[in-house]
Amino acid sequence: MFVDYYKIDDLLADEDKLLRDSLRKFLEDNIKPLIKQAWHKQEKLDFRTIAKQFGELGILGSFIEEKYNCPGATYTTYGIVCQEVERIDSALRSFVAVNTGLVMYPIWRYGSENQKMKFLPKLASGEKIGCYGLTEPDAGSDPSSMKTTAKKIKDKWVLNGSKMWITEAEIADVAIVWAKDADDGKVKGFIVEKGTPGFYQKDLEELGSMRAGGVGELAFTDCAIPLENRLPNIEGLKGPFSCLNMARYGISWGAIGASMDCFETALSYSLDRKQFGEPIASYQLVQEKLANMITEITKAQLVSLRLSQLLNENKATPAQISLAKRNNVRTARFCAHTAREILGANGISLDYSPIRHMANIESVYTYEGTDDMHTLIIGRDITGIEAFRKK
Amino acid sequence: MNILVCIKQVPDMESKFKISSDGQWYEQSDLTFKINEYDEYAIEEAVRLKEKLGSAEVVALSIGPERTKEAIRKALAIGADKGVHIHDDESHKKDSFQIATIIASYAKDKNFDIIFLGMQSQDRASAQVGPILSELLGYNCITTIVSFEYQDGKVNVKRELEGGIKAKVSAKLPVVLTCQLGLNTVRYPTLPNIMKAKKKELITINVNELLNEQPRVINLKAYIPEKKKGGIILEGKSDEVADKLISILKEKTQVLR
Repeated sequence: MFVDYYKIDDLLADEDKLLRDSLRKFLEDNIKPLIKQAWHKQEKLDFRTIAKQFGELGILGSFIEEKYNCPGATYTTYGIVCQEVERIDSALRSFVAVNTGLVMYPIWRYGSENQKMKFLPKLASGEKIGCYGLTEPDAGSDPSSMKTTAKKIKDKWVLNGSKMWITEAEIADVAIVWAKDADDGKVKGFIVEKGTPGFYQKDLEELGSMRAGGVGELAFTDCAIPLENRLPNIEGLKGPFSCLNMARYGISWGAIGASMDCFETALSYSLDRKQFGEPIASYQLVQEKLANMITEITKAQLVSLRLSQLLNENKATPAQISLAKRNNVRTARFCAHTAREILGANGISLDYSPIRHMANIESVYTYEGTDDMHTLIIGRDITGIEAFRKK
Repeated sequence: MNILVCIKQVPDMESKFKISSDGQWYEQSDLTFKINEYDEYAIEEAVRLKEKLGSAEVVALSIGPERTKEAIRKALAIGADKGVHIHDDESHKKDSFQIATIIASYAKDKNFDIIFLGMQSQDRASAQVGPILSELLGYNCITTIVSFEYQDGKVNVKRELEGGIKAKVSAKLPVVLTCQLGLNTVRYPTLPNIMKAKKKELITINVNELLNEQPRVINLKAYIPEKKKGGIILEGKSDEVADKLISILKEKTQVLR
């Protein structure tokens, strides 16, 4: 069954529909059966295996061209991928969006040809896994206050500092790290490889969200990397922000996937579950909840699809991406808790997906730009007045 | 080697079906379509054979309206080399003889060595197209295959029979084979292969160029059967109920013999 109230499928290219169906079947056959226990026990999914499976399916770096062993598809395709993986679990979408939007994208856009040839094919095949270090313990919404530094000493860049709330922190083979040049104060991007002396990677335990994936911290203690590991073609915060746009765009589609799963679960439950002799779907209050869900999902689908067209035409603005991320994650949050409500007591059991999505979406609500920040980015865009920085 | 795979696009069988306004078939709007499950095994087996031989061409053919191209694209993404779309907005009104005739008129001068089809379509379930096609072309025919091997101009296959029996069967080329569940596990089309499939040749032929036959079997009516009444409720003492249950299971099922 597809959640497609407005026949949005008719607007998709055949290849996107084909990929959607193929990927959905793969995920339902292979990953969905594992997710409940992984989440319940907080035993991370085996991302080494999943990375290779995703690599074989060709869904990592989907919009990057073939010469780097990527599929050369569109931003719409990348969106469909995010939707399908988050329909299973947000941790899978985090994995895809981080590797595609935050690791492969900056190498592709700002890297040297050598860096592209060295890293992109292996990241695309899933042989290597990436992570993205921008956020710090004390620098979240305001990355300009970052404390991590890079100092050029002879033929090395030497990094010091720490990064926090990093998806796939521990498993990553390659980290894209943003640090301030100790000499000129400008933010620069670096590729740090696993095993470099002074590079520390650790996942966090005891999380109440994203329990099937890795989230952790990176630390750098006089971590010396070769000069050629700096991304040569970018300086300043617009680098990390442009990457975030790619991930936020992916999130806008992923949130639709989580919403769809919640809606499908709630709809089928409400048709089966009988109280007072009738299915609860026959009662007006339940119908209102279902109608609200399908309305919000349909709006979210249209927003993301149009945004994908703008990206394909190179016309999307960061504020438009903020609007989609903000709206669609709100939709997912709404659908998850509404589905949970419809399921009554069963809604608190991990036998049903909504409560898991509900907890996951709390991460998504505030990562890659909090809901508040996206509100203010849209506000600044439409008024021309910035409301998040006090002079 | 030249290999033809015949596929049909059918509705997702989990759909809610409605009878069409002429009362003869199901309403096709609002349905999601996919490749007939048995035909997927046919595509997979044809592609595996091609990969094994190294040099072979797999042509995927389908009859139906414009949307049928989606099914052919999937066959191309799985690994078929070339697609043939026989455009027919009325394909659902054709009987098995007409469908087989259309395929035979396309295939007659193409020298296909092996033609793979699904054992039957999930929506019409006549299971006749493969056998009729083999007669029209003068090919050998083996139905309901569950394993396949090609060697020295011959195919060696296993067929699934009723009652859990299998049979080993062999036939010389050219041959028509209809594929049954269990033959193989169909691969997931990958994004790079889906992208490559976009560039593969897909030709369209109008059905009128291939068919000049009237149907021999006519569908009079399609209907949704009345719901059966609920099951039997056994009442009485527990040992009596157990005896009744055992006798019912013996009589009506194969659970107990």
